[in-house]
Amino acid sequence: MTPPQIEAYVDAAAAALDLPLSAEHRPGVLQYFALAAGFAAQLQAVPLHAHDDPAPVFMPVEPAAKAPA
Amino acid sequence: MSGAAECLRGDATAMAQAVRSRKISAAALVEASLAHIAASNGRVNAFTEVTAARARQRAAQLDQQLAGDAPGMAESPLLGVPFAVKNLFDIEGLSTLAGSAIERERAPAAADALLVQRLEAAGAVLVGALNMDEYAYGFTTENSHAGPARNPHDLTRIAGGSSGGSGAAVAAGQVPLALGSDTNGSIRVPASLCGVFGLKPTFGRLPRTGSYPFISGLDHLGPFARSVRDLALSYDLMQGPESGGRRDPGCAQRAAEPVLPSLAQGMDGLRVGVLGGYFQDHAQPEARAAVQRVAQALHARDTVELPMVEAGRAAAFLITNAEGGALHLDDLRHRAADFEPLSRDRFLAGALLPSAWIDRAQRVRRLYAQAVAGLFEHFDVLLAAATPCAATPIGTEWLELNGKRLPLRPSMGLLTQPFSCIGLPVCAVPVWPDAGLPVGVQLVTAPWREDLALRAAAVLEAAGIARAPLASPTIGEP
Repeated sequence: MTPPQIEAYVDAAAAALDLPLSAEHRPGVLQYFALAAGFAAQLQAVPLHAHDDPAPVFMPVEPAAKAPA
Repeated sequence: MSGAAECLRGDATAMAQAVRSRKISAAALVEASLAHIAASNGRVNAFTEVTAARARQRAAQLDQQLAGDAPGMAESPLLGVPFAVKNLFDIEGLSTLAGSAIERERAPAAADALLVQRLEAAGAVLVGALNMDEYAYGFTTENSHAGPARNPHDLTRIAGGSSGGSGAAVAAGQVPLALGSDTNGSIRVPASLCGVFGLKPTFGRLPRTGSYPFISGLDHLGPFARSVRDLALSYDLMQGPESGGRRDPGCAQRAAEPVLPSLAQGMDGLRVGVLGGYFQDHAQPEARAAVQRVAQALHARDTVELPMVEAGRAAAFLITNAEGGALHLDDLRHRAADFEPLSRDRFLAGALLPSAWIDRAQRVRRLYAQAVAGLFEHFDVLLAAATPCAATPIGTEWLELNGKRLPLRPSMGLLTQPFSCIGLPVCAVPVWPDAGLPVGVQLVTAPWREDLALRAAAVLEAAGIARAPLASPTIGEP
């Protein structure tokens, strides 16, 4: 993402989330978003296939009476 | 110096032995700890709360029970041993701060965290809560609300973070044992910079019930100590699933696998590799030298690269950033000014990350874990520095690494983040140069093989390569 793209995205996403960014905080937020965008670009370079599952796995929750002691 | 004050300079195992054999009382030992905290904490700033009344009551109770030959007292492994916990562990009657100002307004905890209960059931005595980075998002414990935790070996420098108070309290000899949490390196970084031993167990090994979360899928709890046997003992005492049903969804519900019985088995048959590439590139000379000393002592000859490590670290960063921002979104919306200024903008940015980035990070994370698992078919223990450098002066903004200028606060975890991302157990052992401050070395093993990391740590300690000396008594004579 280019710096103008980051600015546009950050402002729009903050508005969508009802997350006010003060003039004091915004430069730091843009800086850290750019850092994150760099990491996201690294991940984009890793080939993934449909069968590559995410790390977290949901575990069903048993009723309390049947939970292990 | 009193007998109890002298005893406080030893390790927890020896302290409990002295109490069990009635050479000193639990009350005297706890008083020595409280006196040392009172004398030194103004400079070290490790403790944010001292639970003196509770500790005195508990110690008196233990002495009474010992005098009355109450069942089990003669075998209590931590009888009378003072300990303290990062202030994200629940302590009954206190608000759980997690390093924040915001949480000061919350109701006090109704009960102690499960691991506090387990250590106290073994005879230990809680003496207080410890400084940390706000909401565990940092590696330096330069906490703007509580003041920075200071490195006991050089009070002008950081103690590391986010469990900086835990590392500092143990290095200063205020307590022989402390608990911390590690999401991306928050046990191993302060252990490295403060020159003490730290253990981050396998993800899911120790139940986190009663601790303030940061990133549920990455949070680990673990101990700090000044001897390997204390680390192993306290870890064994905290193992095992919750009784009465699961409350921590991340706990693996795995039966305890004690490590103390195998601690002295040495390195026979164990294959040790040194991690190169990324881990060499992100280490300054003192960190590389520490790894080299450990590698020589453990006869490690092979240098190997951790597959997909940069992608794994990127995944850990993004998952942490996004989930941390989401966890605190409501407070970020309404009271961002009450957050720690040093991490607030990172939290705000994290709340805005696209979900597609995080989904991809979780999928890459799994691929990375699978790739690294293959490496353990050839090695039992892998070595890497725990921090890129020794403790830096408080307030330092930048870190020069391999010709690159990086923001120091998020970069102190560059070498720890790749392992917590995939839940591997790691023991950080302190290695000292001829002059100057220590750097820790990570002993990394396959999941559920904490026993091997601690065996290697014990070998290094016996050889004098890894050691955790008390900080200079000038910080407060016990």
